[in-house]
Amino acid sequence: MIDPYELILDECISALQAGVPLEEILAEVPEFAHELRPMLYAATVLSNPNPVLLPTAQKTALRNKYMQQVAILPPLPMPTWSDKLHAAYHIMRRRLTRQAIFSDLATISMTAILTLLMSLAMLNYAANGALPGDLLYNFKRVSEQIQLSLTLTESQAVALQTQFNVRRLAELEQLIQLNRLAVVEFTGVLESQVDNVWIVEGYTLILPADIHIEGQPQEGSRIHVVAFLRVNKTLVADMIQVVQ
Amino acid sequence: MDELQASLLERIQQHDQVALAEVYDRYFDQIYRYVYYRLNNEPDVAADIACEVFLALVSSLKNGKPPRTSLTGWLYTVARNLAADHIKKKGKTVPLLDELVSDDPPLSEQAHWVQLLPSLKVALRHLTDEQQHVIALRFGEGMSLAETATLMDKTVGAVKALQHRALASLARLMPTEGEHD
Repeated sequence: MIDPYELILDECISALQAGVPLEEILAEVPEFAHELRPMLYAATVLSNPNPVLLPTAQKTALRNKYMQQVAILPPLPMPTWSDKLHAAYHIMRRRLTRQAIFSDLATISMTAILTLLMSLAMLNYAANGALPGDLLYNFKRVSEQIQLSLTLTESQAVALQTQFNVRRLAELEQLIQLNRLAVVEFTGVLESQVDNVWIVEGYTLILPADIHIEGQPQEGSRIHVVAFLRVNKTLVADMIQVVQ
Repeated sequence: MDELQASLLERIQQHDQVALAEVYDRYFDQIYRYVYYRLNNEPDVAADIACEVFLALVSSLKNGKPPRTSLTGWLYTVARNLAADHIKKKGKTVPLLDELVSDDPPLSEQAHWVQLLPSLKVALRHLTDEQQHVIALRFGEGMSLAETATLMDKTVGAVKALQHRALASLARLMPTEGEHD
């Protein structure tokens, strides 16, 4: 706690040093005047308005004595490799305390974790618009798998899978618009089956002779399709699986 | 620490003789005034002690232990220690306050205090070394609270408290007019 006298006393001393007469200062703080008066008198008397200077001859003699010592001061030797290694060893020894090591490890770990999280967040943001065949598309799929594995209930997982399938269909649509070739994957309703030409979710799917089909798909079934998108907007199926 | 002081410090650490001469020319008067104030009217001793402060600086360079952070802080600390040692040695010869009180008829209050200057300076020696240091820097050297705090490596609040305690002790130690009527 600040003593009020210390504040007032200091203000009074500042005023005294600025040349304000003592009585004028004390008149400003009549309630403290009795206590402050002797202290301010002491401060006034102790102040040294005309500092004493040493006679020049004596000062010169003392300076010469000092400069004689300065003159015999040996030049600073250049540090050798051994000195440098010794200094480095001392610095390391001072740094290598258990506390310093823990502190450094904590700082490094925190920095690494934060950098990793920041990088993942930025990568995730950048991968959001990736299409099949793009560099970041696999990252987008891995990120979706991680999200799926973090769901706590079955209904949450189903909702998320539905959301991701909507994305797959939107990607397919974008690829068709861009007239790009790519391997695509989606889930949809099998709308019709005529020989080796099927319609799934409105898209024409051609089934080659060596197609691998899991289950017994029928019109109205939900099937998972892995197919190759060709430039004529047709899909050549690679794998078909009935979704339960 | 200002740039000039920092540059001087760096140069003297390299044993630069021109910088060492500059340090002497720049700070000798200040250190002399400080020691003179602490010793109270012993100009020759004060001059020798002030010179010893600078010789100690040269010795510190020889021993590879030069000032590292503040040049003036280092100079004032050495001056303070040397002055305190001298005062300690002379301790037995410090007159008692009562011996210095004049038997003259009472004067006006201010004249009374001015007349008591010699005994006031003796009363200073009854303060702690730290309090004497603050008084010498604040009133002898005319330093501001902030400058004093930087030199003493203390906060401004701590210097204010020391100053208050020192002046209050002086006011108590000094005989009042009534005591020598």
